[in-house]
Amino acid sequence: MLKKWSLLLLVLVLSLIMSACSEESDAGDEGEDTSKGAAQELKIANDQEPAGLDPHKTPAHSSVRIYSKIYEGLVSLDENMEIEGQLAESWDQPNDDTYVFNLVEGVQFHNGREMTAEDVKYSFERILDEETASHIASYFNMVDSIEVVDDYTVQFNLSEPSASFLNNLTNASAAIVPEELVEENDGDLQQVAEGTGPFTFVEWVPDSKVTLEKNEDYYIEGQPKLDTVSYYTMKEEASRLSAIRTGEVDMTTVGAKSSSLLEDQENVEVIDYQSLEYSYVGFNVDKEPFNDEKVRQALSLATDRDKVTEIVWDGDAEQSGPVAPSMGEWPIDVTEAELYNRDIEKAKELLAEAGYENGFETEITTASTYPDMVDTAQLLQQQWAEIGVEASINQIEWGEYIDVWSDTSADVLIGRNGSGTDPDRSLNYFFHTEGSANVWNFSDGDYDQLVEEAEMESDQEARKEMYVEAQEEIINLSPNLFLVSPKNYVAVNESVADYTPYAHNAEDIVEVTKE
Amino acid sequence: MLTYITRRILMLIPVLFGVSVFIFIVMRIVPGDLAMTILGNNATPESLHQLREDFGLNLPLYVQYFNWMSGVLTGDFGQSMRTGQEVLPDILSRFKLTFELTLISAFISWIIAIPLGIIAAVKRNTNTDFGVRLISLLGVSVPNFALAIIIILVLSLAFSYSPPIEYVGFFENPLQNLEIMIIPAIVLGSSMAGAVMRMTRSSVLEILRQDFIRTIRAKGARERIVIFNHALRNAMIPILTIIGLQVGTLLGGTVIIEQIFSLPGLGQLVLTAINQRDFIVVQGAVLFIAFVFVFINLLVDVLYSYLDPRIKYK
Repeated sequence: MLKKWSLLLLVLVLSLIMSACSEESDAGDEGEDTSKGAAQELKIANDQEPAGLDPHKTPAHSSVRIYSKIYEGLVSLDENMEIEGQLAESWDQPNDDTYVFNLVEGVQFHNGREMTAEDVKYSFERILDEETASHIASYFNMVDSIEVVDDYTVQFNLSEPSASFLNNLTNASAAIVPEELVEENDGDLQQVAEGTGPFTFVEWVPDSKVTLEKNEDYYIEGQPKLDTVSYYTMKEEASRLSAIRTGEVDMTTVGAKSSSLLEDQENVEVIDYQSLEYSYVGFNVDKEPFNDEKVRQALSLATDRDKVTEIVWDGDAEQSGPVAPSMGEWPIDVTEAELYNRDIEKAKELLAEAGYENGFETEITTASTYPDMVDTAQLLQQQWAEIGVEASINQIEWGEYIDVWSDTSADVLIGRNGSGTDPDRSLNYFFHTEGSANVWNFSDGDYDQLVEEAEMESDQEARKEMYVEAQEEIINLSPNLFLVSPKNYVAVNESVADYTPYAHNAEDIVEVTKE
Repeated sequence: MLTYITRRILMLIPVLFGVSVFIFIVMRIVPGDLAMTILGNNATPESLHQLREDFGLNLPLYVQYFNWMSGVLTGDFGQSMRTGQEVLPDILSRFKLTFELTLISAFISWIIAIPLGIIAAVKRNTNTDFGVRLISLLGVSVPNFALAIIIILVLSLAFSYSPPIEYVGFFENPLQNLEIMIIPAIVLGSSMAGAVMRMTRSSVLEILRQDFIRTIRAKGARERIVIFNHALRNAMIPILTIIGLQVGTLLGGTVIIEQIFSLPGLGQLVLTAINQRDFIVVQGAVLFIAFVFVFINLLVDVLYSYLDPRIKYK
């Protein structure tokens, strides 16, 4: 009996030693490999679990950053936010409401089949099909029909001229998917992914990681450089900080307040970039007293946006209008705007003109899930008190917040918006009387006409002028008070090279290498 | 005994039925809905309507409940509305992690708490006793998440150590698995240890004051025999009750710890699903946790009669 046990013990000890040795030799191999330039693996820690991988059904950023490496669209934005070809190498516009795209030849889906004009037609019909319930359908409701001219030429017929059409095509959700994949999976691509992009999908271990591998047959020579990319879900910021400090991961997003904690860390560099988002205060403009634009203007004058930047965002944010300052050539310089310069006396005058010389009481609703929104609410509470507006704060959980936002059940709501890369989205979709995201009951006939015309205008210069006017108008009417556009921060290990984030494409890794 | 166990198992049915109705209703009372959570400011009335139809959210409530229940009874917990993943296999694979974490934490808490509790009882009102009680008070009072974050910070700043980021199962690689589990288990175990320690102390103290202990001592039994063979065994019943309840609580209480340590366990599943209003996943997971909780407490009840043969179940 004793002999049997001691034999078992011996085997156990031996196997442990062997496994320890093999681990060591593994590590040794890896070390050699990287010095030779092989085995390029990038580990990224994310704060959220992806919500699914179907590009047509999932707007969540946690998903976009992954499926945008697997799928591609017809066109994309370059570093200056100019439109460049992706799966379409060129395009013509024979008249105002027709676009003809010439596709790159010889592009293969990850399943080995060639991508053709049929796939483009199929993908956009899937987006527009009501049964798909695609979040991006509203970007393409001007598309009347799609024609396959030949294998490498596809024509989009629009119901009316649309200046934002090309820009909308750059959205990562306007992806080309292979029909057979959709059919094999009963119409659902949340768990599978096969596109034309630089990386192929390997596996998704829920609440743990998503692994992508290099697409060996990628049609752009020399891309991507990495062999493997792993996205780890680490919701707790302290854990992400610990993992980036110790080199367990190569890259992670961090909040404004944590970025300073990494300043002394020698092996980590924190890179920041201006986001495409802005924070705002939304009013239910049907409700008293917010139905009077003078009241809204008074609140804008009582708001100290510099203090918001300083206190909520640690001094690292830019004042923003309805079009975020990083949105290329479109935004206006809001610091010049009269309503952005704090003036308590004038605010009080406006309130008195509106009939509220003694101020009024109200409630600010904010999402407890996001500390910056809570901080913003508290700051505004103090600032508005100076003109006699006594606000209480109502913090609600995110799911409930979205409900409150969509049915405008709050009088004053703190929020953050990202509105893509074209001003049509920011101005038309968010503030036109019929705009789907205009939950504020805001309606102004002249404004509606202006943004409609801008969307139909094919001359870029004329279009730009119209949007300048529209931005000034919406700031003046103040259905929302636009506050500031924060920065985003990425902590990167020193071994990562050639990584440059852009506001519209912050997590692009095709050029990234590891040293 | 067997009839008792059968009766107890039959009693699970109304309990679980109650839980299922309760969680179903709660998830529908909570404001916010899945379709809106998915679409956000991209929502149009048509896409919202279509999504709600796809998920069966516009059916009458009793039909929704009936559809869900008839699936559950045949072992089909449905699919996640968000990711399309099958719910039951997901729950089971995550339960393995959460269960392992619970067991290790419970084990850690016992090896700390029971000896210390006995020592405190035997040396009551001495400095040792005060020391032990202070430690147990700390264990109960320091919140899990605070302790977890402090440990992470200290390890990474002072020792440049961070636990492995990629979870591996115990049977794939036991050493690495334990390396991942040990810190979260210590955090969870320490808070559980506080309560068990206090219960052990008071329970052993009470037994030590009883007549039969005096009789045993009078017979000249050695103190070690008195404590371990007589006092502890009799004191085990309330301790076991607390342990049973705590193992159950731990199963649900690992939520925050799993999130902090990025462990893909049952807690994370429930939390993500609640935030996303993924009703089907929340309902399935809560029902499952309730089942395990009730089952563990049944196990504890059965253990009573082993510890104290006077307890007979009919």
